[in-house]
Amino acid sequence: MMKETNSKIKSGDATSGRATELFSQHQQDIYKSTDRMFAVLMTVQWIAGIVAAYWISPRTWIGSLSQTHLHVWAAVFLGGAISSLPILLAITRSGRRSTRYIIAVGQMLMGALLIHLTGGRIETHFHVFGSLAFLSFYRDWRVLVPATIIVAADHFLRGFFWPQSVYGVFAASQWRWLEHAGWVLFEDTFLLIAIKRSVSEMWDIAERTAESETLTEDLEAHVVQRTAQLAATNKELESEVAERKLAEEALRDSEGRYRLLFESNPLPMWVYDLEVLTFLAVNDAAVRHYGYSSNEFLGMTIKDIRPAEDVPAMLDNISNRPAGLREAGVWRHQKKDGTLMDVEITSYPLSFAGRGSALVLANDITERKRAEEALHRSESQLRQALKMEAIGKLAGGVAHDFNNLLTAINGHSEMCLRRLTPEDELYRHVEGIMKTGERAAALTRQLLAFSRKQILQPQVMDLNSVVVELSKMLQRLIGEDIDLLMGLDADLGRVKADPNQLEQVLMNLCVNARDAMPKGGKLTIETGNVRLGEEFAGEHLSVPPGDYVMLAVSDTGCGMDALTQASIFDPFFTTKEVGKGTGLGLATVYGIVKQSGGSVWVYSEVGQGTTFKIYLPLVEGSVEKLKVDTGVPELLSGVETVLLVEDEEVVREMAMEVLQECGYQVLEAKDGSDALQVARQHAGEIHLMLTDVVMPRMSGRELTKQLTPSRPDMKVLYMSGYTDDAIVHHGVLDEGTAFIGKPFSMHALARKIRETLDAPVAV
Amino acid sequence: MDSNFVPDCPDLMLPSRPRRKNARLVLLLSTVMWAALVATGLWWLWGYENAPGVGAISPSQWPSQSRIQLAPNGPTLVMLAHPHCPCTRASIGELARIMTHSQGEVRAYVLFTRPEGSPEDWEKTDLWHSAADIPGVTVVKDSEGVEARLFNAATSGQTVLYNTRGQLLFSGGITGSRGHFGDNAGQGSVIAILKSEVPGQTETSVFGCPLFNPQSECKVLNDEGNK
Repeated sequence: MMKETNSKIKSGDATSGRATELFSQHQQDIYKSTDRMFAVLMTVQWIAGIVAAYWISPRTWIGSLSQTHLHVWAAVFLGGAISSLPILLAITRSGRRSTRYIIAVGQMLMGALLIHLTGGRIETHFHVFGSLAFLSFYRDWRVLVPATIIVAADHFLRGFFWPQSVYGVFAASQWRWLEHAGWVLFEDTFLLIAIKRSVSEMWDIAERTAESETLTEDLEAHVVQRTAQLAATNKELESEVAERKLAEEALRDSEGRYRLLFESNPLPMWVYDLEVLTFLAVNDAAVRHYGYSSNEFLGMTIKDIRPAEDVPAMLDNISNRPAGLREAGVWRHQKKDGTLMDVEITSYPLSFAGRGSALVLANDITERKRAEEALHRSESQLRQALKMEAIGKLAGGVAHDFNNLLTAINGHSEMCLRRLTPEDELYRHVEGIMKTGERAAALTRQLLAFSRKQILQPQVMDLNSVVVELSKMLQRLIGEDIDLLMGLDADLGRVKADPNQLEQVLMNLCVNARDAMPKGGKLTIETGNVRLGEEFAGEHLSVPPGDYVMLAVSDTGCGMDALTQASIFDPFFTTKEVGKGTGLGLATVYGIVKQSGGSVWVYSEVGQGTTFKIYLPLVEGSVEKLKVDTGVPELLSGVETVLLVEDEEVVREMAMEVLQECGYQVLEAKDGSDALQVARQHAGEIHLMLTDVVMPRMSGRELTKQLTPSRPDMKVLYMSGYTDDAIVHHGVLDEGTAFIGKPFSMHALARKIRETLDAPVAV
Repeated sequence: MDSNFVPDCPDLMLPSRPRRKNARLVLLLSTVMWAALVATGLWWLWGYENAPGVGAISPSQWPSQSRIQLAPNGPTLVMLAHPHCPCTRASIGELARIMTHSQGEVRAYVLFTRPEGSPEDWEKTDLWHSAADIPGVTVVKDSEGVEARLFNAATSGQTVLYNTRGQLLFSGGITGSRGHFGDNAGQGSVIAILKSEVPGQTETSVFGCPLFNPQSECKVLNDEGNK
């Protein structure tokens, strides 16, 4: 507080001093400026005096003579003398007190001169009062003193020496001059008052100016301080602005990136209004994917890209949508060209331009779905293959042993029947045994067929001829209630397949059709050349695209539902009553066709019927002549030496007995090693080796390899119920290999032996 | 402080004491000389202003040879004037004031002297017209100053006043000094006579230009009353 007071006192002293300084400076300025005005005024007065003298009294006359009037010379010289010093001082010593005193004297003397030059006109006397007023411009009362003295002295002196010229009388009072001086003093009084007030005002102005300057200084200091603060604040603001700009740029970059993410997202994206369902924004992928332009999209609703039948479900889905991100599932969408596609929808609610909206990501999964379906099919097929493989292994294992047993059973039964007559009491029983054995053999063949483990002997063939040759038997097979219709393509291409197996296929399909038409109907067998496209071949048939020969078997039966269709090729699946079907028919068909490189396609409608279509690859080449069983009842005989190699004793004994009965010389071996030894010990030629394929320690193929070098002319006939790939590859018998499958009949064996021996030697 | 600031004591602000002293001395001497010169000039001018012209002994009886007719029913005032004399402007002005005061009780004539050989209308100056404009004043050309000589006038502005009987009532100038307007003894006396009052003076000095050339018959008097 004390410090502040001292500061104010100091500030007051400084202001007072500054006020004095300002007052003096102002006063001096006034003095100088008034000096300059008087310098000008006195010059003008001098000139005016000359003009007035020259105008009023240019010349003086004496009769007819004249000369320049004395007033003119007085105006020039005396006026110049009066004005000279004041003007000179006003110029050279402006502002000084002596200057203004001399100016005051000069001005009043100039007034006296002018009055004289104008003939003492009363009007000119106003010059005196005007001069006093002008002198008061100095705002220095002391200037009026010499001026007043000059006026008084003028009147006093002239009144004293020439009273008539001043007072109009020859003898005026000696105090008369005071009357004149009194009027001058009268004016001086007012001028003094005015000067005093003016000086007071000057002081006020000076003080106010000083105070104003002090305030200004304070204000300037404050301004400087505030300016510094503002500069600092400005700097902070600039920094903030820069940061804000950076943030805005970052935001713009971010917006740009997110816009880029939206617009260049490879997946179709759009924003739609939740209320009116109109598109609000779409990205390029949506435009490309759906075929609509951006403008077209913006004039559409999301209902427009859906099939009409899906719109109610979509509206229901939107009305019941939960908040937040959600998977809206898979929907069908329709492109501009009408193509339907499956899209997986993910949506997220947001506010877009102030409107309740949803961002939608549409992932076209049409191809993925197809791939999944294809994968599903492949998996099913793989499962089926694995299942078939397992069943095949089982069937193979069973068939190997079972066929050996059946070979013995059927062989011995056949031999018994050869020794018996139908009249014999045992004949019927042995015949029963043999028939049962044949049925068991057929069952075993079917097991191998559907598990694709049977041995095929494919050849180029005409499918029509198979159908035609089998047609009579088929007609008998299906009965009279069913009409058998044929639609065979005369220009049917060739296929390479095992004719016997294809007969089996056709019979199985016909039997199946027959069973589907218990009340009769029509069974149609058609053939034709078809070209399978990539899509159909791959998706529906799992075969390579290309040219195929089609065999179609159609019925007008009860048909099948989808569930049944899915299982009809499974082994042991049947819709027939127990005991009426083995469940292996269509499985066998499927196995044979697949093993032949073809495919089966089924189309069925419940109550309408079923169509099976078999597709077999079309091949080039001439038809090979079918080997027809001559049906000769007699055993074909020979005298050649046959090496019989069979590890199964019952089969070996039966075969040896058949061969001996046919006249052959038989060398018996119980396995490979034994056969090698027998062969070494036998000095003579061995014309043929009849050997089992699957044997312990040494297979039939290995045995052949070891014997062939020493006996290159020896022919080999393999026999087997199941080969285990020893002589077959993928079910197909090696080229040039003779083979007879177990179980075989006596006649079949004798015929096969004979054919093998008679066959030309391969070069 | 402003570098132009000079306090109210300028003589003390000179750069050095000797120069300042010399300057003051020069200023003082200059002032004294100036004052003396001006005083002399003014004194001389005032002297000139108050120096009267040649006075006249006007005839005490109206000159019978005069072409001017004496007014039968009132005083007759005659002013003898030089048409180009600047000092006479004040006399004409004072005459106008007299005529204003007389209110038609006096017949006034202003006789403008026209020297011999003067150009035509030489006398028709502004003074002529000013005088002619005064009500009750008759302006008359006085060729070769015949009338002036009859009234013994030698200085412009000489004014004489006669009564109806031709007796001189006043003679002299009606201005206080040369070309000087304002109340004066001559003017006041004429007005007093016209008001039948006792005039202060019946004779006054005349301030004006000589009416005649120096070599003319009418000699210029150097002092009032001396021929």
